[in-house]
Amino acid sequence: MNRTWMIIALLAAALATGCATKKGFEKPGFSFGCPIGDAKVSSMEDLVKLKVVHEGKRTTIEPTEMHCTMTGDLEKIDVTLNNDSSQVKRIAYKFRWIDREGMRAWEEEVWKPLLMHENSNMTVSAVAPTNKAVDFRLILLSQE
Amino acid sequence: MIDPSRTPHLALLSLIASLALATGCSTTEKTRYGDARSVETVTNQFGSTDLQMIAESMTRSMLNAPVVAGGNLPIVTVQEVKNKTSEYIDTRSITDSIRVELQKSGRVRFAADAAAMDQQIEELKRQQSEYYDAKKSVETGKMVGAAYRLEGNITSIVKEDKGVKDVFYKFNLQLWNIQNGLLDWTDEKEIRKTTSK
Repeated sequence: MNRTWMIIALLAAALATGCATKKGFEKPGFSFGCPIGDAKVSSMEDLVKLKVVHEGKRTTIEPTEMHCTMTGDLEKIDVTLNNDSSQVKRIAYKFRWIDREGMRAWEEEVWKPLLMHENSNMTVSAVAPTNKAVDFRLILLSQE
Repeated sequence: MIDPSRTPHLALLSLIASLALATGCSTTEKTRYGDARSVETVTNQFGSTDLQMIAESMTRSMLNAPVVAGGNLPIVTVQEVKNKTSEYIDTRSITDSIRVELQKSGRVRFAADAAAMDQQIEELKRQQSEYYDAKKSVETGKMVGAAYRLEGNITSIVKEDKGVKDVFYKFNLQLWNIQNGLLDWTDEKEIRKTTSK
């Protein structure tokens, strides 16, 4: 009987660990290290949808990965962009920094032009300009 | 004598001519406000987007440097950024933008640099004059020296062939410890612009 209970306990523990592997290290309100507030994010696609905004002419370049971490007291973001077309694509991007109250934490960044070769990935990184910036949006704009 | 049967034609012709004249004369210039932070590609010379990207990139990098991120509020003086390109670039404008961003971050303080020193001394001297209440004037000998100096250079490689012009800019910025002469931070920003006819 004891052995049966032990096996059940072990199975339950293994199951719990398995379920928690994906986001076990996450703090509440964060996904892949990125702040999400009360939003429900269960996958990378959800996170990208939450954080990426298309402005002006829509680009076909899509962010595929997004990870955030803290460097000191400043938010650091890495975003992998993918060009799955067989043509060179030109886009511009910028980050918008948001403070705890949902207000702009910093003035609007400069649009940064980016050339993406055909069938390629590129990682763009950004560090928040101030520790007041606790959230962000990545803004994309086609330059075609 | 004008043939009355041709009058409508003449009238039509003169109307077209006057319309064409009016259109020609009315090619007035249009002035609009634009986005000061948009991507500017009017020519491949150094432009506003290059200046803004360099300032932003250098500032963010410097904010991550241990000497700044440590929260010790280092005092910095801005020295010259040498323009080693073949075109005119107001490098002071680049360092001014970097200084603005760093000052706004609240993590760096700036001491009067060589360019501002004359005005600083002039104001100090002015306040020592008989026209000022000595108790309400600033004292001399209280200026704070910088612990770090910021200097750099911008270089370019220009190549042109068969209607294609390629310009490569490299901006390098360095933060030197004045006391011990050590380089505490440095970073680069590279920009490539290609124009084809």
